[in-house]
Amino acid sequence: MAGQSVERREILQLVAFAAAAAGFPGFRRWTFACGHLDAAVLPPRPASGAYQPLFFTPNEYAIVERLAEMIIPSSDGPGAREAGVSEFIDFMMASDPNLQPTFRYGVDWLDGHSHFLYAKPFLGLDAEQQTDILDHLAYYDRHRAEEEDGRAFFQLMKEWTVKGYYTSKVGLEQIGYPGLTTVWGEYDPCPHRDDREHKHLPPPQI
Amino acid sequence: MADKVYDVIVVGTGAGGMAAKTLCEARATVLALNPGRRVEPAKDFQNHRQPYNMKFRGFGDPRVPRYHDEREYTVGLWEHDITYVNAPGTNWEWLRVKVTGGKCNFWGRSSPRFGDIDFKAASLDGFDVDWPVTYEEIAPYYSRVERYVGIASTVQNRPSNPDGEYIPPMPFRCHDYILQQGAEKVGVPYLPDRIAQLTQPHGGHPACHYCGNCSSGCDSGSFFSPTWFTIPDAEKTGRLELRTNAIVKNVLVDENGQAKGVAYIDRDSKQEVEVYAKAVVLAASCLETTHIMLNSKSRHWPTGIANSSGQLGKNLCDHLYGNSAYGYLPQLLGQPPRPDNISDSTVVWMPRWQNLRNPHEERFIRGYSVYPGGGCGGFPGYYRQLEGYGSDFKKNIRRYYPTPVGFTIQAPSLPSPANYLDIDPEVKDIFGIPALRFHFQWGPNELMMWEHSKHVCEEVLRAAGGEYWGAAKQPETCGFSQHETGPCRFGNDPKRFVTNRWGQTHDVKNLYICDASIFPYCTDKTTTISILTFTLRTCEYLIENLRRGEHGA
Repeated sequence: MAGQSVERREILQLVAFAAAAAGFPGFRRWTFACGHLDAAVLPPRPASGAYQPLFFTPNEYAIVERLAEMIIPSSDGPGAREAGVSEFIDFMMASDPNLQPTFRYGVDWLDGHSHFLYAKPFLGLDAEQQTDILDHLAYYDRHRAEEEDGRAFFQLMKEWTVKGYYTSKVGLEQIGYPGLTTVWGEYDPCPHRDDREHKHLPPPQI
Repeated sequence: MADKVYDVIVVGTGAGGMAAKTLCEARATVLALNPGRRVEPAKDFQNHRQPYNMKFRGFGDPRVPRYHDEREYTVGLWEHDITYVNAPGTNWEWLRVKVTGGKCNFWGRSSPRFGDIDFKAASLDGFDVDWPVTYEEIAPYYSRVERYVGIASTVQNRPSNPDGEYIPPMPFRCHDYILQQGAEKVGVPYLPDRIAQLTQPHGGHPACHYCGNCSSGCDSGSFFSPTWFTIPDAEKTGRLELRTNAIVKNVLVDENGQAKGVAYIDRDSKQEVEVYAKAVVLAASCLETTHIMLNSKSRHWPTGIANSSGQLGKNLCDHLYGNSAYGYLPQLLGQPPRPDNISDSTVVWMPRWQNLRNPHEERFIRGYSVYPGGGCGGFPGYYRQLEGYGSDFKKNIRRYYPTPVGFTIQAPSLPSPANYLDIDPEVKDIFGIPALRFHFQWGPNELMMWEHSKHVCEEVLRAAGGEYWGAAKQPETCGFSQHETGPCRFGNDPKRFVTNRWGQTHDVKNLYICDASIFPYCTDKTTTISILTFTLRTCEYLIENLRRGEHGA
């Protein structure tokens, strides 16, 4: 049915996506976060459905998944979860032996620190407690002594979350990446040439 | 059966592919040698694939060593088998593309003419040597190349930058108008760049379709590359034989020390093969041409072919590149995204404005240019400037998307006795070819330009109402720009220069050089359009010599 409602070139595009996806190891969610694509073109998921991490332990992976969705939440549109950012990070870490010890240490530091502060694993904390830990790592005026390693890990985690999210289809759609239109045909110059200083633009959208 | 003797062997198919075209069209039989396979645009150029369709999202496999310009989209097209060595204290990255067309498949496309301000720089400021040519004699060759290639720009009447023959320019984007206001207040130019990219159909090539991925190669041939221009033109004549996977090792000489051909290693079989011609053109890129010449040792040329001057490999120059300032334009915060980078071009430049009225106005001599950039791109690299996380962070990424701007300096290094190339006495690559060794450091003149540019670019940004985020802590690695010049300098005195005013070596009359190695220094301008221009001139001179029987019957 989908095939009848979609134009030929779109179908070809879907097939191309699927072909690309077939070369990837076991991803579920990040493969373009397109429900219709999943259903129409990708092979059916195994019954278990859960993503099997390539590098992280199940606990580490769950922490990475939680951190990614805290950094880019699903507010005002899809976030890191829908974009499958944690799968991407797991795949990249599995491919990057040089970075593995650093990243793993960071995740483990966070879990250990959570035990130190609250006597619970990070995933055992409520959202407020998790946010409190991250706030101290993320904001300069809330930095605390002896959390340097945690701050370094937070920056690393933020970097890879941004990398994963803004190279996914949903992430690029979120910022309105012009390159999603593959061929423009003609150049689209500045439309405000009678306001070169750009002092009289319409009010910001965001 | 006697071995075939071609009229000319051309080593390399990059910018010097212009040589093969020019020679073939003048009815010479040409053997062109390329170190890698033939590039196949439909298969090799993945420029219409989105990052999420790439296995590593365009970041590439972290386990595979890559050059800074080598993207996941072009992996496999680059040369990694031919080793090179950095002398202690040198940190040079030698990027090479091995497929036909070379680096010119992905080049930056900025195409300004050199002028007398460059050719006569020594007369103006007393440093080093003038070039053995005048703008007046070179200008017609520039015009012919510009008509062939198609350059988008405007007539600008600037003393540092002779104007050429142009197709319509790339139009300004929002941030260009804003930054231009700032530049006007500071008193520095902000103008359309000269770009070898087709804003309209040109010479049988379609106009750009603005997919914005030129650095992955063009599938429609809408900017100049040998792949779409010079190689097909040369092949059309029926006089070109293109041999791929042929890694040239040295020039062969006859009993008089003149060139009789070249020896190459077949990449697959690793066997050495000899080929013969009346004349040899080295167009392998500034560095590889020098590598081949230094390795061409014989009884006649114990330190490398055509090196009686001792200058072969000396005078290595490079463009210092670096991010002189970056920040954002609050005027554009929260505005809808605009297709600012669908041309993937420099679009604008701030052409040299220093030392124009008086060659000693500044504490440095000569001058540099700057390429501003900005607006909506692909990956939001400015996220590093945005503190925090969560929904505000996500919203901020969208708010700032149209606003980031930055300035890249292009500053010429001056020739220095400390900067040169030689052959490492021990290291060889897997083909048994002795490795090229780099000796190079930035000197005070170019580092003063770097400091100067940081001040001016910050001033321009602030004068435009922008907010300043910072500047790079240090310039890019040596070799980054791929604009090196100098090791086969041209000049009239055979005792001081490797090549003469035609790009012909003084010592070996049937050996010609068609790349940037003949240019005495980098200038503030990019090199490709000038390589094409001087190649055209050199090859027409070579043809005259062939016709007159100078290189044998």
